[in-house]
Amino acid sequence: MTDVLVKVGFLALAALNGAVIFTIMDVKGASWMQRRPGPLHVGLRGFIFPLAEILKFVQKEDIIPTEVDRPVFKWAPAYVMVSCVALFAVVPMSPTLVVADLELGVFFVLAISSLGTIGVLTAGWSSANKYSLMGGLRAAGQLIAYELPLILAVVGVVIQAETMSLVGIVEKQIEWGVPFVVGGQVVGFLIFMVAATAEMMRVPFDMPIGESELTMGFMTEYSGIRFLIFYISEYMNMFILCAIASTLFLGGYHVPLLPTEWVNFYGPVVLLTKTVILGFILVAVRWSQPRFREDQLQNLAWKILIPASLINILVTAIMKVGF
Amino acid sequence: MVNTLDPQNFNNFSEASVSVEIETEDMTLNIGPQHPSTHGVLRLVAKVDGEKVYDVKPVLGYMHRGYEKLAEVRSYPQITTLVNRIDWVAGFSNEIPFIAGAERLMEIEVPERAKHIRLILTEMARISSHFVFNGAYALEVGALTPIFYAMEDRERVLDLIESVTGGRFHPNFNRIGGVKPAAGSGPTTKKDIQDLPAGFYRDTKVAMQKVIEAADQFQNLIGGNEVFKKRTKNVGILTAETAEAFGVSGPILRASGVKSDLRTLTDYLPYDQFEYDIPVGENGDCYDRWDVRVKEMVESAKIVLQAIDSMPSGPLQAKVPKVIKVPKGRTYVRAENPKGEMGYYIVSDGGLGPYRLKVRTASFSNISILPLLLEGALLPDLIAIMGSLDFVLGDVDR
Amino acid sequence: MEEFLSKINENFINTDVEFETINIKVDSSQWVETHQKLKDEFDLKFFSWLSAIDWDNEVSIGEAPKESVSPSFEIITCLSNVSNNNLVTVSTTISKLEPKITSLVEIYAGANWHEREAYEMFGINFENHPNLEKLYLPDGYEGNPMLKSFELISREVKPWPGEVDVEGMPEEPESDESVDG
Repeated sequence: MTDVLVKVGFLALAALNGAVIFTIMDVKGASWMQRRPGPLHVGLRGFIFPLAEILKFVQKEDIIPTEVDRPVFKWAPAYVMVSCVALFAVVPMSPTLVVADLELGVFFVLAISSLGTIGVLTAGWSSANKYSLMGGLRAAGQLIAYELPLILAVVGVVIQAETMSLVGIVEKQIEWGVPFVVGGQVVGFLIFMVAATAEMMRVPFDMPIGESELTMGFMTEYSGIRFLIFYISEYMNMFILCAIASTLFLGGYHVPLLPTEWVNFYGPVVLLTKTVILGFILVAVRWSQPRFREDQLQNLAWKILIPASLINILVTAIMKVGF
Repeated sequence: MVNTLDPQNFNNFSEASVSVEIETEDMTLNIGPQHPSTHGVLRLVAKVDGEKVYDVKPVLGYMHRGYEKLAEVRSYPQITTLVNRIDWVAGFSNEIPFIAGAERLMEIEVPERAKHIRLILTEMARISSHFVFNGAYALEVGALTPIFYAMEDRERVLDLIESVTGGRFHPNFNRIGGVKPAAGSGPTTKKDIQDLPAGFYRDTKVAMQKVIEAADQFQNLIGGNEVFKKRTKNVGILTAETAEAFGVSGPILRASGVKSDLRTLTDYLPYDQFEYDIPVGENGDCYDRWDVRVKEMVESAKIVLQAIDSMPSGPLQAKVPKVIKVPKGRTYVRAENPKGEMGYYIVSDGGLGPYRLKVRTASFSNISILPLLLEGALLPDLIAIMGSLDFVLGDVDR
Repeated sequence: MEEFLSKINENFINTDVEFETINIKVDSSQWVETHQKLKDEFDLKFFSWLSAIDWDNEVSIGEAPKESVSPSFEIITCLSNVSNNNLVTVSTTISKLEPKITSLVEIYAGANWHEREAYEMFGINFENHPNLEKLYLPDGYEGNPMLKSFELISREVKPWPGEVDVEGMPEEPESDESVDG
C-alpha cells in the first residue's frame, strides 16, 4: 500500500515539476527571442513566473456560461490532464527508477496519449460557442491525423529494439553502443518530433487554438482553474513527449562514459538534460514560425509523414532481417 | 392505425419509400466587433460551412464619429486637429491634403523649408504605419515574434516625430501656410521661433539606417519563411481591373501590377527633387501586398535621407492673416496616405469654416472588395486577406 | 493636362476649372450616359468617391450661405485615371422634395457603398441599386444626419464658441480677444 502511495506521489511531483520547468523555459525563451526584459529580470531573475501564473489563475472566478453542457464541460479538462500524467508512469530514469516497467510500455504510451483527443473535442463541443466548436473540430482532425505518423515512427524503434518495454529499449541502445538516432532511426526521430509537436498543438501546428483567429479555440470559455488545468497539461504533455523521445531515440538515462553503478544517481539528471535540449528546440520553433493552415497541416500528415514513416519501417525491417 | 403484421397490408407497403435527407445549414459566424484580428471594431457576418466561407457581409459604423458633420461647425485650424485622428496610425499624413486644399483656395505660397519638413514627417508617418502593418500581419498569420521587433524599430521613428512636433500620433503640426513656427506660450518663449531640434539630423540618419536594416531583416525572416509563403502566396488574388473599378488605391493597387503613385502626380510637396523607386507587385496576392509595403519602407527611408541633406533654410510659415477666412470656391486635393489615396473635397463659402467637407478615405474603398475576395476562401485565409488589406477602422468609418 | 482639358471642353457643354479641379455639370437625366462616356472614351476607370451637398438657406449649425441658393441636392462624383493626373468631378442637381437618381453600380462597381452612404446620410434614393440599406448608422436610426436641418445636439447644449485663443504671429503681440464666428 505504501509503495503505491509513494509512486502516486512521485507521479504528481514529477508531472508538476516537469510542467514548471518547461513553463519557465518557454517564457524565458520567448522573452529572450522577442527582446522583452520582463521575464528575464523581474522577480528572482524571472523564476517566480510559474508561481505568479498559478496564483493568478487560482484567484479568478470560475465562470460557466449558461448554455453549456455542464457535466461534459466540467470534466473535459480532466481527460486531458489524466492522459498526460499517466504517461509519467512508464518513463524510466534508470533501470530500477521507474514507476511501472510494463512489458508493453510503448503500446501503453501511445494508447493513453490518444485519450487527450476526447478531452479536447468535448471541450470544444460543450462550450456553447461557435469559435470553440471550430477549434474542437480542427483539433479532432489534427490529433487523429498525427497519431498515425507518431505510432509508425515508434514502430521502427520497436523493430530495431525487439522489445516494447521502455527499459528494454534503453538497454538495447546501451548494448548497441550508439543511440537509435545515430544507429539508423534518423528519419524516425524527425517524424516523431514533428508528429509530437502536432500532438501537443504547439505552433506551427496550433490551428485548434489559433490565437489570432479563434481567440483560444476550444479553450475560449474556460476560466480560472479549469483553464489552468489545460495550460499545465499542455506543458506536461510537452515534457513527457520530449522525455519519451529522448528515451526512444537518444538513449534515455545512459551516457557512454560514466560508470553504471551510479546510474541511479546520474540517470535522472541525464534524462532531464536530454529532455530540456529537445524542449529548447521546440521553444525556438514555436516563437519563430507562423502557423500552418488546416489543409496544409493535413497534407503534411497524410501525404508526407505517413509514407515516409512506412518507408522507414520497411527499411528498418529489411536491415533487421538481412543483417 | 395500420397494423403492420396483418398480411393484407403488405401490398401497400411496397410502394411506400422512405427518404431521409439530412439537411445541413450553413453556420453564421459573427467575426464580431471584438476580435483579435480585425483592426478595430469591424464586424463581418460570415456564412461558413465547416471551414469554407461562402458569404461575407461587412457591418460598419461601430466607430462612426461624423467627421463631415463636425467639420461644418469648425474653423480651418480647428479642423486640422480633428482630421489627424482619421487614420491614427500615420497621424501626420492626414493633415497634409486638407491644409494643401485650404492653401490652394487661399492661393498662399508655402515656403520651401516648410515643404521639406512636411515631406520628411509624412515619410516618417509612412514608415511608422508600415511597421505596424508588418508586425500585426505576422501576428495574424501566426508568427508571434516579429511584432516586437517592428514596434521596437518604430519607437525610434516615433521619438523623432515627437521631438519635432510634440506628439507621437496626433502631431497637429501643420498650420495654414506652413508648419508651426513657435513653440510654447508665455512671455519668454513666444517670440522664439522653434525650428527643428538640435541633433535632429544625426538622429534621423541613424534611425533611417536602422529602418533599412530592419526592412532587410523582415524580408529574410518573414518573407523567406516557408510557412509564411505557403499561407500568403496565391491567396486573395486581386486583378487590376477590379481594383480600379472599386476605387482601391495605394499599396494594394500597386501589388496588383498598376504602377500608380500619387506622390508623382501631386505638386504641393517637393517629391520631384528626390529619387525613389515605386515597387510594383506581380500577382496581386497577399504576399505581393506585404512585399510592396516592405519595399516602400526602404524607399521612404531613402527619401528622408536625401531630404535631410538638401534642406533649404527660410521661414517656416507664410504670412497669413490672424483670422483665416478662405474665399469662396471648391477644390479636391488628394495625397498618398500610407493606406491609399486620401482626399478632401472642400466647398468653401467664404466663412470661417467650410460649407461642406467631404473626406475620401482609403480604407473605405479598400475593404469594399472584401465580399468579392473572400468568396470560397477558408477561414484562416480570411484572416490573412483581411490583414493584408491593412485598413484602420478610423479610416473606414470616419 | 491641357489636351485633356480641351477634349473635355469639346465633349461636354458645362465645364469649368476651379482651383485646378475640372468640374462637369450635367443634367440628372444624363447622369449614367455621362459616366459611361467618361469611362470608355476618356479612360477614367478609377472611381474615387460619390457624395452629395445639401444646399439650403436655413441651416441649424454652421453658417448659412452668403448668397441665397435654391434648396437642392447636388450629387458629385470624382473619377480619375491611375497613371496620369486626369481627374474630373461630375456634378448634377436634383430636387429636395423628390430626391432620386439612377445608380451607377452597373458602370462602376465601387459606387455601391458610396451610394449607400449617401442614401442614409441625405435620404437620396438610388434606383436600380442592388441593396440600398444603411451602412453606418444603427438600425432604427431616424433621420438623415448630413442634412443641414439636422441638429448637432452638442451644439444645442453649448453653441459654437467661434475662434478662440488665436495664436499670434511671432513678430506681432498676442491678442487676447476671442473673435466671434
